[in-house]
Amino acid sequence: MAAIPDGPVKSETELEVKPDSVNDIAGNPNVVQGIGGTPKTSPSVAATVASVTPPDITDRQTLLAVLQFLKKNKLLESEETLRKESGLCLDNEEQSGSVDGGSVCATGDAEGSDASLLSRVSGVTSAPAAAAVTGAPVPAKGDDQPDVSVVLSAYSQQGDPALYQVYYSGLKKFIESVLDCHRAELSQVFYPLFVHMYLELVYNQHEAEAKDFFDKFHGDQECYYQDDLRVLSGLTKKEHMKGNETLLDFRTSKFVLRISRDSYQLLKRHLQERQNNQIWNIIQEHLYIDIFDGMPRSKSQIDSMSGSLAGEARREANKAKVFYGLLKEPEIEVPLDDEDEEAENEEGKPKKKKPKKDSLGSKSKKQDPNAPQQNRIPLPELKDSDKLDKIMNMKEATKRIRLGPDSLPSICFYTFLNAYQGLTAVDFTDDSSLIAGGFADSTVRVWSVTPKKLRGVKSAADLSLIDKESDDVLERIMDEKTASESKILYGHSGPVYGTSFSPDRNYLLSCSEDGTVRLWSLQTFTCLVGYKGHNYPVWDTQFSPYGYYFVSGGHDRVARLWATDHYQPLRMFSGHLADVTSTRFHPNCNYVVTGSADRTIRLWDVLTGNCVRILTGHKGPIHSLAFSPNGKFLASGATDGRILLWDIGHGVMIGELKGHTDTIYALKFSRDGEILASGSMDNTVKLWDATKAFDDIETDDFTAATGHITLPENSQDILLGTYVTKSTAVVHVHFTRRNLLLAAGSYNP
Amino acid sequence: MASVKSAPKDAQVMVQILKDMGITEYEPRVINQMLEFTYRYVTTILEDAKIYSSHAKKSNVDADDVRLAIQCRMDQSFTSPPPRDFLLEVARQKNQTPLPLIKPYCGPRLPPDRYCLTAPNYRLKSLQKKGSSVGRITAPRLSVGAVTSRPSTPTLGNPAQTVSVTNKPVTPVSLSGQRFTVQIPTSQSSTIKSAATSTNTVQNVLINPSLIGSKNIVITTNMVSSQTSSNEANSLKRKHEDDDDYDAL
Repeated sequence: MAAIPDGPVKSETELEVKPDSVNDIAGNPNVVQGIGGTPKTSPSVAATVASVTPPDITDRQTLLAVLQFLKKNKLLESEETLRKESGLCLDNEEQSGSVDGGSVCATGDAEGSDASLLSRVSGVTSAPAAAAVTGAPVPAKGDDQPDVSVVLSAYSQQGDPALYQVYYSGLKKFIESVLDCHRAELSQVFYPLFVHMYLELVYNQHEAEAKDFFDKFHGDQECYYQDDLRVLSGLTKKEHMKGNETLLDFRTSKFVLRISRDSYQLLKRHLQERQNNQIWNIIQEHLYIDIFDGMPRSKSQIDSMSGSLAGEARREANKAKVFYGLLKEPEIEVPLDDEDEEAENEEGKPKKKKPKKDSLGSKSKKQDPNAPQQNRIPLPELKDSDKLDKIMNMKEATKRIRLGPDSLPSICFYTFLNAYQGLTAVDFTDDSSLIAGGFADSTVRVWSVTPKKLRGVKSAADLSLIDKESDDVLERIMDEKTASESKILYGHSGPVYGTSFSPDRNYLLSCSEDGTVRLWSLQTFTCLVGYKGHNYPVWDTQFSPYGYYFVSGGHDRVARLWATDHYQPLRMFSGHLADVTSTRFHPNCNYVVTGSADRTIRLWDVLTGNCVRILTGHKGPIHSLAFSPNGKFLASGATDGRILLWDIGHGVMIGELKGHTDTIYALKFSRDGEILASGSMDNTVKLWDATKAFDDIETDDFTAATGHITLPENSQDILLGTYVTKSTAVVHVHFTRRNLLLAAGSYNP
Repeated sequence: MASVKSAPKDAQVMVQILKDMGITEYEPRVINQMLEFTYRYVTTILEDAKIYSSHAKKSNVDADDVRLAIQCRMDQSFTSPPPRDFLLEVARQKNQTPLPLIKPYCGPRLPPDRYCLTAPNYRLKSLQKKGSSVGRITAPRLSVGAVTSRPSTPTLGNPAQTVSVTNKPVTPVSLSGQRFTVQIPTSQSSTIKSAATSTNTVQNVLINPSLIGSKNIVITTNMVSSQTSSNEANSLKRKHEDDDDYDAL
């Protein structure tokens, strides 16, 4: 950098080459540092530059950048000198936009986010906003630097909109000419480049050019991006972008590409040897290229992993350790004989046979290295009723049918009649005694599946009359007069999109388009609490397997973790680019998985709120998620009709189940994890052999690092059965404790 | 539904828009809904624009007015969720606090009462009988149910009343233990009345559960006048609940 004594030409080229050479891998930060070196030398550079009349447009822009920097740092005299000597007049400059941007930046406001968004290039727009919000020193330093780089790159967009087509076609031609093995990887660049260039044109209000650009190139993109492109086609003016948070996020976040080093070198060499390397600038600004050493990936490998709105996941994003093991079950004494229904005398009473100690899952006393500590997150202690529940569970488990390819479960289907397409959510209790249905008319209805009717607690006056000392007081407090098969819960003011029973069957949660999550008591059948936090429709909610905590996700792109006794959320899981459409707890309650309309799945740590895994591969919004009972694997279903299987520990895709033709809204593993049941809008329930799908999985660090996954084409082998319903879309599936499969849906002929 | 040929032009345009945006399956009424929304939105915007342009003393409505009207409406009706950097910052702050410990043996774990929907959302008016001085009965305020934690001192409509505790056993409510019975005469001429009230129908038998363990106190109300006893019986019967009890358990 201390190249001042050299001639003016060299220092000029130094300035221009800076963005290229420094910017190898990490994008902007390096650019910032590279240019950060220049200011020290800029006054002298300016002096040397001034002696040369700027011949062409690039030098002029550089001069402007330097001028702006001088103005920012209050080096007014130098600025005046430079201006006079270079004979520039700023007023009739095309750079008025960038100068305005400069002054906006100088005043350091972040609230006028509209103004800053509209007048500046997006990639660095977030920097001033972030500067005001975080107030950290680094963005403050970046405040100057992006300004200069804004100018340097701003002209590349504003330079000549008509040339965009030329740039794009040039790149296309180049990529089509490379070797086959590299072509697939480099073709990944097309889609993000296309979208960003189109958005640039729209932002800078070159409507006609944007339309031409779109018409010419949108057909070349991959088929799975068609939905996005359709949304883009409706976006022709700058104003249209203002309300669309997803697109704004897309502009400010970096699209991640995983390219092997060889392919990357090819691309870089090609782009740098050309005269006008505007594409290179765009790539640097909007794309994050994660380079790995190894063989280039094939088209099918890339296709299986791509499809999300943010590209793929960086390697670092999936490196954190995830405790996917299950928590140790508490030791409860169980009476050995099955006929003994009275659970109350299991402890203390001496029996002839020694009662068996419960050892569910904890074969050894040692801590499972993959399981979290018992007290990693606070969990509610077991009440007596919970212990009784567990004992019932264990008894049922002994009667459980072992499922397998030759022993398929029976399916019992609960059809909701006369719902007029209003059924939007269904849930079963764990012991399968109650069903809850959420409807588009904002009601929630609870039915009893067993012959036992639903009873509410008596009113207070009646309660005062009962004998409190009697043994069956718990029965007497229930009101026989108003017992019924079903109860209707009113309270929401919008369609109910998610329902979830608590594990102890005392509470029911429902989330709705009105932005609230409501907690209902199943003993009085009234609403207890309304949790307000999302101000936008909440798409899904679920109680944790231990009760007390619940998670909700909605249109505001965050998922929130709540506890029933806090009126505000405990954790906010923010990072998705589009709505959070599905939220599930891990069986050990330490992790929450969210599926989103940006086609990614993220795994969040409840303790810290950090995202520990990003899983890409779906080509449509994800609507169903299911963890395997051993906690190691995750299954996800989306609107593209595919079910993807993931190994959470490594963060890689290990299977793909093709067969459904429409959105999959229901996924559940059987109680021991042998069968995966899926229900879809194509009116079928399909059973898949989970043990076979997870068998001999070879995942190691290499596959995790490079994404060289080889998915076996065994969907047909794994599919055990397809069961068609009579024009009833399947909304929910549930395995009872004895491995009977229950399914629910509404009949719409 | 009108066939495509005879559908108004606007409806045809709307069908085309839906097709362009990739929506192929929809109920026929969706077109009407979309058209209605369009008309309403455009009319609102144009009316706002007219107001703005007349405020700026312009003779015609021009594009700037419309743009301003759109912008104002956007902020009002079509709000969008907060931007990503804001959410990340809020999330970062919220996730820094450790998860709160769970108190054991708490009963139903609910937020403080003021954030719950469990409070009664009605209050009963106290009954004031006009006319006869005899039949002045004010409903003594009693609290019923397990919510209250204080022994309810019945307050009377006329606080100047003296409460005479008599030993006269009232119609016994057969519950175990000793009971204090407090008779509450409720009219001006109490002394006479209390002597004359032989019909001490026990109206509200309240067992305050929180007090059962300690003392057995039964507070009974008194139907005072014989003339109005029947209606009062009914009306008092209704007045079980009360309007207080914001206190938590």
